[in-house]
Amino acid sequence: MYIIGENIHIISEKVKLALKERDAKFFQESAVAQVEAGAQALDLNLGPRKKDWEEVFPWMVETVEAVVDVPLSFDSTNIQGIEAGLKKITKAQPIINSTSAEPERLENVPLIAKKYNARLVALTMAASGIPVSADERVNIALEKLIPRMMEIDFPISDLIIDPLVLTVSGCQEYCPELVEAIRTLQYAWDPPPPISVGLSNVSNAVPAENRALINRTYCVMLMGVGLKMMIANPLDEPLKNTIRIIEERDASTAVGRLYLKLHDQVAAGEALAITDVDMKDPEQAAIWKTVQILMNKVIYADSYLQQASMA
Amino acid sequence: MAVEIPKDSWAGSVRVVTLGATPADGGTRSHTIMIGGQNTLPFMHFEKPTPHRPVIAVEIKDRRPEDWSGLLLDIWGDAANDPAAWAKQAEVAGADMLVLALTLTAADGNPTTPSMAVEAVKAVLAASKLPLIVLGPGQADADNELLVPVAEATKGERLALGLCEDKNYRTIVAAAMANDHCVVARTPMDVNLAKQLNILIHDMGLPLDRIVMDPTTGALGYGIEYGYSVMERLRLAALQGDAMTQLPMMVTPGFEAWKTKESKFGQDVPGTWGNWEERAINWETLTAMTLVESGADVVVLRHPESVRRVHQAITDLMTVPETV
Repeated sequence: MYIIGENIHIISEKVKLALKERDAKFFQESAVAQVEAGAQALDLNLGPRKKDWEEVFPWMVETVEAVVDVPLSFDSTNIQGIEAGLKKITKAQPIINSTSAEPERLENVPLIAKKYNARLVALTMAASGIPVSADERVNIALEKLIPRMMEIDFPISDLIIDPLVLTVSGCQEYCPELVEAIRTLQYAWDPPPPISVGLSNVSNAVPAENRALINRTYCVMLMGVGLKMMIANPLDEPLKNTIRIIEERDASTAVGRLYLKLHDQVAAGEALAITDVDMKDPEQAAIWKTVQILMNKVIYADSYLQQASMA
Repeated sequence: MAVEIPKDSWAGSVRVVTLGATPADGGTRSHTIMIGGQNTLPFMHFEKPTPHRPVIAVEIKDRRPEDWSGLLLDIWGDAANDPAAWAKQAEVAGADMLVLALTLTAADGNPTTPSMAVEAVKAVLAASKLPLIVLGPGQADADNELLVPVAEATKGERLALGLCEDKNYRTIVAAAMANDHCVVARTPMDVNLAKQLNILIHDMGLPLDRIVMDPTTGALGYGIEYGYSVMERLRLAALQGDAMTQLPMMVTPGFEAWKTKESKFGQDVPGTWGNWEERAINWETLTAMTLVESGADVVVLRHPESVRRVHQAITDLMTVPETV
């Protein structure tokens, strides 16, 4: 699994403060910690920076590139700011996060990516918003995103399609559709185009104590349909251990065997059955309940783990 | 060629909630009302019979409302000055049950006191033997202050008390538990929040067959399709076996319809809008019937003519050959 570290994100109060104070040490420590923990790229979400983009984006590149060598991903809607940052890159091939299929962005952002030899994350989102169904999301990739790249002779291997994770708390019907979107997108190009998602979006607005379980269960399901890249927290050890279990097919624990079963069932287009789960084991029961909400079989509620399970 | 009508079969069913208690069960009601119990979608009688028809509750107030449409005040006349008289009139108008909505302030502008609330509830219970729902004024402190003494003074009547909301449900639920009442749990048009509140109330120890959920709705033209979808989704989940959604639903189309401009205003509106009263009644009736079609078990109405029309429409839906 190729993890793009998500921890430099303006939504965090610490990041907000450090950025305000131009605290280089804070960002360098975060960058080093994420890379040491296994991040293969770093997402830099600095917000739009409407007033100080000219200075902030290059400053961040300089600060982070001083301590790590991995690709930097510019996660912003401010294309001028992104371009200012791209000009400053001296190390690995950077990433622009993101364009969508909205006409204006799709017109401009890929040209910038091509000019600076950056990889480009493209969201399966059109002017009309994010479609629920897998087919519609795949169609946006096939009919809008890929044709635009071909039109400007942008290598498809540098295109990263993001079919958009939405939260199970409020957008539950999107969750199983994303699984199918990722499954189908593998066939959108030969070789398959890289696909990446923002994993933790699946647990936005979920109480903090349940977020990690939902994230890693969904991660297993998405790996089942071939996900190999995501924006995630590289310091989340249980998440990384879960990824390791799948990648190494480590069946030495009961929970590991359940995750492998879940992965294989999703891969085969089958549903996990309650008979695959030892419901007397609280950890396995929690995973089962989480799969049920992620598959939109049981309506999500903040206390979903407290509810008796449905067979 | 004969067409075979496909029939669905569901794993789950809606719980039956019994409202009101007769003397045999410690109350004073002439009869009880059972709601819920379905194990198919509304009016699919050819799949499974509908065990209990949707009921109409008529909303009355503890004192003459200041913010109601003049059309409503005219039609109820002097009865609106006295909850006991109003209750009797509502029964004559065809109410299956009553909703007494307590007012935040008394006529003199001071807060409604617990003894005033208890007196109003007792007067209504004495005047009409229909099962009763009592709603607080809708502010957490006032709701708790008024509903607890009401619950105690009416122990055993199996009222439904509301509204429980996520920020304020504990006191009302505890009062209902201690005094053998039911509760109404309201959430703002959201399936996740509706289910969550049911879980929280149930966690306090109140049995599920004493909870009615109010998923909130909008009036015709004011978000009703969103409310409809939420109710439909909750009902589908219930039929699929999700225990925490298997509760009957109450909605308030009267309240919603009578705050729209189409119902509120008779002057300075386009002539093509037609007769004011007829329009307002249509608005309330169509809002209510849409919600009945999406699975409402209790619709709370305000105008007697709407009550008559909705009653007739439900009777038709329960008996027309096409649905049986």
